[in-house]
Amino acid sequence: MRSDPAEYTFLSPASLAEALDLLRAKPGNWLPVAGGTEVMVQYSAGKLASRNLLSLWGLPELSEIAELEDSFRIGGGCTFAQLREHEAVQRFFPMLATAAAWTGSIANQNRATLAGNIVNASPAADSPPALLAYEAELELISAAGTRRLPYDEFHLGYKKTALRPEELVLAVHLPKHYESWFTYTRKVGSREAQAISKICIAGAGKLKSGSVESLHIGIGAVAPTPLRLRHVESLLLGKPLTKKQIAKSKLVLQDEIAPIEDIRSSVQYRRQVAENLLEDLLLTFALSGEDPLTSSVTALDSWNDLDLLTAAEKILPCCSSVRWADRMANARPIANLDQMLEVADKTWLELSEQDWNEAFRSHPRIGERKAAPVTSQSAAWSRNEQSGAAAASEEIQQALKAGNEAYETRFGRTYIVCATGRSAEEMLLDLHRRLRNTDRTELQEVVEQQRQITRLRLRKWLGL
Amino acid sequence: MILLKERIVGAPVLRKEGVAKVCGKACYIDDMKFPHMLYGATVRSSIPRGRIVGIEFGDEIPWNEFVIVGAKDIPGENTIALINRDWPCLAADLVNHPEEPVLLLAHSNRHLLVKAVAAVRIAYDPLPSIHSIEESERGEVVVWGRDNIFKTFQIEKGNIDEALAQADFIVEGEYSTEAQEHLYIENNGVIAAFTPEEGLTVWGSMQCPFYVHKSLIAVTGLPEDKIRVVQVETGGAFGGKEDYPSMIGAHAALLAMKALRPVKIVYDRTEDMTATTKRHPSRTRIRTAVTRDGKLLGAEIEFALDGGAYSTLSQTVLSRGTIHAAGPYYWPNVRVRSKAFATNCPPHGAFRGFGAPQSLFAIERHMDRVAQIVGLAPEDLRRRNFLRKGLTTATSQEIREDIDLNRLMERALEISGYQNKRAKYDRENPSSRQRKGIGFAVFLHGAGFTGSGERYLNSLAAMDATSEGKLRVLVSSTEFGQGTNTVLCQIAAEALGVDYDAVEMAPPDTSVVPNTGPTVASRTTMIVGKLVQSAAIGLRQTLQSAGLLQEIWSSEEFCVAAKAYVATHGVLRSESRYEAPKDVYWDDEKYRGEAYPAFAWAVYVAEVTLDTVSYCVTVDDFVAMQEVGRVLNPVLAAGQIEGGVVQGIGYALYEKVQWQNGRMANGQMTNYIIPTSQDIPPIRVCFEEMPSSHGAYGAKGIGELPMDGPAPAILNAVSHAAGKDFNSIPLLPEMICRELSPSVVSAEVVAL
Amino acid sequence: MNRERLSLKVNGEEHFVETYPMERLLDVLREKLRLTGTKEGCGEGECGACSVLIDGKLVNSCLVPVAQVRGAEIITIEGLASEELLHPVQIAFLECGGAQCGMCTPGMIVATACLLKRHPHPTEEQIREGLNGNLCRCTGYMRIFQAVSMAAATESV
Repeated sequence: MRSDPAEYTFLSPASLAEALDLLRAKPGNWLPVAGGTEVMVQYSAGKLASRNLLSLWGLPELSEIAELEDSFRIGGGCTFAQLREHEAVQRFFPMLATAAAWTGSIANQNRATLAGNIVNASPAADSPPALLAYEAELELISAAGTRRLPYDEFHLGYKKTALRPEELVLAVHLPKHYESWFTYTRKVGSREAQAISKICIAGAGKLKSGSVESLHIGIGAVAPTPLRLRHVESLLLGKPLTKKQIAKSKLVLQDEIAPIEDIRSSVQYRRQVAENLLEDLLLTFALSGEDPLTSSVTALDSWNDLDLLTAAEKILPCCSSVRWADRMANARPIANLDQMLEVADKTWLELSEQDWNEAFRSHPRIGERKAAPVTSQSAAWSRNEQSGAAAASEEIQQALKAGNEAYETRFGRTYIVCATGRSAEEMLLDLHRRLRNTDRTELQEVVEQQRQITRLRLRKWLGL
Repeated sequence: MILLKERIVGAPVLRKEGVAKVCGKACYIDDMKFPHMLYGATVRSSIPRGRIVGIEFGDEIPWNEFVIVGAKDIPGENTIALINRDWPCLAADLVNHPEEPVLLLAHSNRHLLVKAVAAVRIAYDPLPSIHSIEESERGEVVVWGRDNIFKTFQIEKGNIDEALAQADFIVEGEYSTEAQEHLYIENNGVIAAFTPEEGLTVWGSMQCPFYVHKSLIAVTGLPEDKIRVVQVETGGAFGGKEDYPSMIGAHAALLAMKALRPVKIVYDRTEDMTATTKRHPSRTRIRTAVTRDGKLLGAEIEFALDGGAYSTLSQTVLSRGTIHAAGPYYWPNVRVRSKAFATNCPPHGAFRGFGAPQSLFAIERHMDRVAQIVGLAPEDLRRRNFLRKGLTTATSQEIREDIDLNRLMERALEISGYQNKRAKYDRENPSSRQRKGIGFAVFLHGAGFTGSGERYLNSLAAMDATSEGKLRVLVSSTEFGQGTNTVLCQIAAEALGVDYDAVEMAPPDTSVVPNTGPTVASRTTMIVGKLVQSAAIGLRQTLQSAGLLQEIWSSEEFCVAAKAYVATHGVLRSESRYEAPKDVYWDDEKYRGEAYPAFAWAVYVAEVTLDTVSYCVTVDDFVAMQEVGRVLNPVLAAGQIEGGVVQGIGYALYEKVQWQNGRMANGQMTNYIIPTSQDIPPIRVCFEEMPSSHGAYGAKGIGELPMDGPAPAILNAVSHAAGKDFNSIPLLPEMICRELSPSVVSAEVVAL
Repeated sequence: MNRERLSLKVNGEEHFVETYPMERLLDVLREKLRLTGTKEGCGEGECGACSVLIDGKLVNSCLVPVAQVRGAEIITIEGLASEELLHPVQIAFLECGGAQCGMCTPGMIVATACLLKRHPHPTEEQIREGLNGNLCRCTGYMRIFQAVSMAAATESV
């Protein structure tokens, strides 16, 4: 014990108001201390600069957790034990509950406070990444009143904050809208407990149709302050989350962080692991998207990664227009099935009549086997699609044959219908109905049928 | 007397001092306070090497209130005598390492004392300093003796050069280990008191009261019967309180002699970590000659230790490391050349294992690599080359017991599921982000002092009875958690035929107990235990000859008899002195012969996971299988193994001393990482017993054994998991990351 | 700053001490109240040898300014049981070999008693986490885990 207790003034104000008055009377004179898990370590080591301490421990105004309409208000004096055990924090802000459980040991969690962790401003602190990811807002208070400050504006530099000398962190506000969000948090330290972070990351996000709708990533111990990865977020926002994007984000990350070599770890390690963690976070995020089956994402991911020619080749059987296939290949990366179908429709409908005809030509007559299948795959699919016709009686099959001939005479191309799930009788009825269409109407109908066929084939191809 | 089956030895009797410990009533040195006591503190050097040119005492301190002791105040010799006399008690004009003690201060106000230490300003003329084995070896800067070398050894057997010439494969490797801090939970502390009439008494946390006693004679110049040393409850030691207490004891003694008041010196954690001894760092280079079917023809081993600034115990650490360097294998030809080097950091000292963890790490890592190169499974290479009865070690010691290392290894591999796991992990690792590995190490540890060491110690143990009929064991062996009190009382009770509770330990006070040698080298149960056993038998025979015991007796009857004897004769006491076994011969010149009276043998298996995102290694399962002669107390024995394994896990994966110019920069528990309860695997301990004639009830020593196996087993497992060789400990994630991942370069901003 | 007269409730008894408010609770317990069962191992809140209970919560007393525990209920190792009647946790530590050198033991036992109040039948994970702030260098933790499980199996903890 390298300090002399006789040299310290230690006041225990009975209320928050009293504490604030003392701070106002002599701004800069007092070091507020709550649980003491940081201040007392410095004191024991003989390294505490301040001789005047103001105890905030136990002040009721600081230790409540309240649910408001759109947010939660967490008192600055809440201990980490309180945070991790609080049902609402576990439910609405699981990353903060996890960070609280990571901090130090059980004994330290019973004393360390949220405001203490923030104000101490260690870049390796456990709660900041989660607070950044949840876009926390600080409520600062002085004798003159309160003010709000977005948490990501609080850290100005290494151990320098926007807190004024007469101010305290009264509360931390966390918006309530994260319940359905994807979250991911991980800490890497020197051991499983009682470890200061070498790197700590927290991310919250939302996907929509495979694209990144929202993404907040907070990271610690890789810069002079806890960091919000805004550049990485910018890169990814509004776009599909693909492997290529993830690879790009790792490069952006390296420019955004500035880790140092210190007593705990090296620059190379911090950079490499930060990258690994970001990748793990984003991959997990991507897999959490609306399409539950991971296999389709994998098949799609592989297709996304192919060269142009091969990609076009691979998608051609779904709709046998070379131009369609080419345009689809150029529309990559495509995140998921929904997007694939959307793009497929759009691309198909924008084709010229010539290209449409190319697609139409690949289909065999209903009930017959021969056409000019562009690929063996489309032939196989055709067989499958037309299974209804294949199962029909001899009489129906004769009628279909006659109908096909009539249709070809009338319109100059093969009768096409999205046959999947339709019986031969249904197809006959449809054929006869359409024989009475004008050219224009019929073109619309057959384009529509091909569109449906293409959609079915795309699903099959992606394993859905 | 009817020979009873053993009823206490082998039973899990409760720890002798256990109740006091679990109630918080055990009294450690900092729990003690004397009237008129002063506190002492040490002013230490801030540079690694240089000449002291001036000392200034800051004005802000009332120096007249202080007791101040410098080198010139030392009444005897300015040395802490261990083996050599090169370790200064206080630096006179030269300092040779950071934190070297220069001045001692005492005052009644602890807080003022801290300020006073900070107010002493020492001016130096710095000299060049060296901080690695390589630098020391180069000899460009000489900091000790003529060539920086504390000691060298050479072991020769057969003709290694011929073996190398005949080999199908020559496998080379270099392996290194770094310093390790003991981190006993209780820091070093002593209290000294002196009056000219009664002399000097030193109480403290220590392993060897007679070592301290001997050192105090030299420093104080007092006659030996005017010095009394008393060990008090000691909160962990692991070798760190074998040598260092002589230093801190001398400091307190000097202050007490000048002040004529009791003086207490207790270090805080940072001072203890930065100023006291650590495990010797090592570098081992091995060249092995092996045939294509895995027969070891010979090895050439170069073993180097970093001893720090003064020689202290380096030569004995070197000795043990040298003798264990060849591992549990039969080498027809071998040469081991070893050296201990001086550098400018606080002297390194005793630490559980004492050189063997360092050299055994190297050979067991090496064996896995030899296996790989020859194309054998690691266990197959081992199996073809184990020592067994009739074969000789590197020092040409013939193995006389029927040890079956193959069977020991098979059992360990079976219990750990080694074969299946090895194959499974080989299959699954390529596609997994959590790569798993399993590895093992086979090793041995010699119990007792090396060679003629025990003969030289000439230990004496005694038993006596008090006037109340309480039976006491009188030894200088100390308890510091490993179970000395319990086991020695068990042995005595067994030999006397009384209840465990009828026997107690005499206080470890040099004015009360004889010198049974230091509590080190895994010798207490085996060697001291045997002396206690024979002293007890002697006591029993005295009562029998006096006609005070029947054919059979109850415990109470025995105590009544003892009490009666004391009432009549005044004293009931029996002594037993060490006698070297006739068939044990050691040549100190050639370093050949029977190095140790007994070896314990072991196979340890470690299963690990290497996380490829964080490069962190966790140990998931651990099997510790050992042959130990005889387990005298299963709870204590297993506890020793488990504790040693966890220290070994720390040694392998977590504990790194960060050196800055010879000073430990991470001298805080926050920054020196040892495993917590959440870091350790289940540890499965199995014992085999082949009773040894040299030890009490057949026991061999086991205190240090568990320190030797974990590091090589773990590194073998990590190398398996990673598919890459790792040959240095501590193996931190940062090192794994460097090996496994391409370097990360800062890229230009990608157009968004 | 002057010394203050503080009332402390320790192991069920009220004590009045003259002390500076910034004295560490650890030092007040050991020096002023001569309750030396609570130990100092590191002074940094890492080793847990100084663990006590404050209002039923496990805390490292080396990090607590004594002024902050006015009015609080403090329990130290001495308050768990005396030598005559051992607490089930103490019995379990004895039987299982959970104490070797004994230096971490008071803190470890206080932490265990606290853990068992929160989790009367703890899983292994809960045991490991509950003791993660108490470092032991001697035992390798295994027998401590066993002692905790044994104590949990005993009634009336």
